Amino acid sequence: MPGLQKEKFIVPIGPQHPALKEPAHFEFTVDGETVTSASVRFGYVHRGIEKGTENRNWAQAMYLLERICGICSHVHSTTFALGVEKLAKVPAPPRAQAIRQILLELERIHSHMLWVGVAAHEAGFETLFMYSWRDRETVMDILETFSGNRVNYSANVLGGVKYDLGPAQTDSIKRGLDYLEERLHYYMKIVNSDESFLRRTRGVGMMTTAQAEELGAIGPTARASNVARDLRVDSPYLLYEQFPVTIVLGSTGDLQTRFVVRIQELFESIRVIRELVNHIPGGDLTVRFPRRIPEGEVVMRTEAPRGGLFYFIKSGGGENPVRVKVRTPSLRNFMSVLVGSVGHQLADVPMILSGIDPCFSCNDRMIVVRREPGKETAS
Amino acid sequence: MSMEIEILLKMLVFPGGLTLIALGLLYEYIDRKLMARFQNRIGPRFLQPLADAVKLLAKEEVVPQGVIPIFFVSLPILALAGALTAGLYVPMAGFAPAFSLPGDLIIVIFLLGLLTLSIGLAGANTADRFSILGATRTLTQLFSYEAPFLLALLCPAILADTWQIDMVHQSVLGRVWLALPLFIGFFVAVIGLMGKLELAPFDAPEAESEIVAGALTEYSGRGLALFRLGKNVELVVGLTLIAAFYLGGLANPLEFLLKTLGLLVVVAALQALFARLRIDQTVGMWWRIGALLALAQLLIVVILKGVIL
Amino acid sequence: MTESLLAQGLSLIEGKFVSQTAPEPNRIDLMLEPAQLLECTKALSAARWGYLSAITGLDHGAESGKLEALYHFCNKAAVITLRVTMPRDNPVVPSVCAIIPSATLFERELMEMFGVVCEGTPDPQRLFLPDEWPDGTYPLRKDYIVPAPPAAPEE
Repeated sequence: MPGLQKEKFIVPIGPQHPALKEPAHFEFTVDGETVTSASVRFGYVHRGIEKGTENRNWAQAMYLLERICGICSHVHSTTFALGVEKLAKVPAPPRAQAIRQILLELERIHSHMLWVGVAAHEAGFETLFMYSWRDRETVMDILETFSGNRVNYSANVLGGVKYDLGPAQTDSIKRGLDYLEERLHYYMKIVNSDESFLRRTRGVGMMTTAQAEELGAIGPTARASNVARDLRVDSPYLLYEQFPVTIVLGSTGDLQTRFVVRIQELFESIRVIRELVNHIPGGDLTVRFPRRIPEGEVVMRTEAPRGGLFYFIKSGGGENPVRVKVRTPSLRNFMSVLVGSVGHQLADVPMILSGIDPCFSCNDRMIVVRREPGKETAS
Repeated sequence: MSMEIEILLKMLVFPGGLTLIALGLLYEYIDRKLMARFQNRIGPRFLQPLADAVKLLAKEEVVPQGVIPIFFVSLPILALAGALTAGLYVPMAGFAPAFSLPGDLIIVIFLLGLLTLSIGLAGANTADRFSILGATRTLTQLFSYEAPFLLALLCPAILADTWQIDMVHQSVLGRVWLALPLFIGFFVAVIGLMGKLELAPFDAPEAESEIVAGALTEYSGRGLALFRLGKNVELVVGLTLIAAFYLGGLANPLEFLLKTLGLLVVVAALQALFARLRIDQTVGMWWRIGALLALAQLLIVVILKGVIL
Repeated sequence: MTESLLAQGLSLIEGKFVSQTAPEPNRIDLMLEPAQLLECTKALSAARWGYLSAITGLDHGAESGKLEALYHFCNKAAVITLRVTMPRDNPVVPSVCAIIPSATLFERELMEMFGVVCEGTPDPQRLFLPDEWPDGTYPLRKDYIVPAPPAAPEE
């Protein structure tokens, strides 16, 4: 291997790599064990969803958009539904909004607990990984009592929701949340006190408030750096005005703070879900919704588990959307990885990467090439 | 003639060869099962390690481009052979070692190190960057735990005034467990064994979330099977050695099983308890804490010996 | 709150745009000439007015001959959108990466999906599209028709 030392030593991570459960391609240039630069390439799971919405009608587009991500699926369909309802000036009834909000917060619990496990796995802390995923089953079971599905609940219709909150759901939510709350206290203790774990999280992937502002970080990643950005508070949608959440901020901006912020947020979620379940408004689940949506453009932003989700929807007055632009939180946060990993040990890179809770399916939306001999087709 | 057959039997069937491999698979199963139960998983079935080994042995071995084939093929054999040979010098299953000669403690420690060295060289032999990084880490780690581990095993030997494993073993038999007065040395030896075997939290050399499988990334089929068997054998040999020295000796097979399995439970619990250390943290920990502790222990032993005896 | 934020944002870039509309209470859309984009971006980002939330590309169709790039700046609930219209046959905007380095991923997406040229962007490589995607084919333009998937093989 002559010359190897002189050239840049590039460690590729992805598209197939055990650290990434989803495909993306990162190139980290290393000097010994220290990262000196980083670049990224996505697109391995493009499905053409943005283009796909343009030749589907509004209702079909919503179900397609729900499939952008397997973890935060409900937030996509809710954001789209809210946007379209705003365009059509036909809001969903309050009970439907409450149920949407319950599902959103349940989804947040499910997403954050998944992240705790993944991040622990990247740190080589398999026990925490196994425990948190076992307990995550509780919230999956709750979601299953609503729709029969553990992911992609398809709970929304334009102008309402399909599933009601009945006694069975109330019961399973109440029991499940009690158990989860107890477990979360335990995880909080672990991430704050386990010495070997702290060695891998404290001071790693540090992002100062100024950096977070400059890189435009959002979601728990930003909040751990003391940047108060939470659309549930800044720009309340659904019933977040009547049933508000308190914004959770951390100060140091390292990985450990991100753990603390995310787990703390779950206590907020649990509190809001309980309030919603106890004071759920009565009334219908759906309203009549037009097939054609009046011409116009709308920007709809909601707080997905990973940060602010941005939808730009343009209607030409027809049965199909003219343009749906989705900007998922992971894309906004990726720059913090590319900038943040420089100067760190290679061993910390998976931790930094998972620190923003990246979701590659969310990023990759548009085109996938299906290879046929001699020709390329896209779908 | 019968002498030669006896030697062959010793090497191939008991206590070496097949017995060691079978014990290695058994201990791998117990380790994995315990880990799984600690982590709230179900864990493997009893014959899973055997099935893994048979499956790997039956598979095609891919020799990647850019390697020196002779090293690629021979290093796994060397690794397993080293671990198996080491097994001949320890009081396996509570019986006297198959072979014994003055200074065989050093031979065993060298033979156990041979496995790690082979893994490191095997990684450095391939052109794969994960392997090279893994090999670097494996060898870095080797240099950090080897000295404390050796010092920790020397303490009982110095007390017994011999560097022959069998003699050390005889001297501790039936006495108070050395792990009690020499708890520092015992502690360093157990942790050192975990470092040697690259068990969590010292698994930075094969940290799957960073460098896939480390030095063995390019290995498949037979080579991988041999390396894994070698590690299993080394686990058994290491546990036997520590139990023989520090846990009051191994008088009979029952005692052997109880003591080594007891140690294995401790090792499995330690694996489940911690997050992986970064390689710089591992090295720092060994040289800043491990080596000092082992040296202190050695000093205490030497001084005590001078004062009392 | 939102109104005052919008007013504040607007005052930062007063006179640097062509016209404005308010499609929603929390939004202001500003029509810009491509040359004005950098100035506005600089003013907003220097004052730390929110963050660049997304860049949306819009194709108004072949008959209108226009492409549009929308730079959405979000501050709390307020959204200021800088809308730059370009001719479809020569769509060029200046890159904002010098001012907002994290915009590079958005610009790469805009470039490959709409064929907009962001002049001076540090990394013009494709972000999402595969390497073997034909040059000059921009999938999110209206005239790109998604080919029908190959028919399922007969049982």
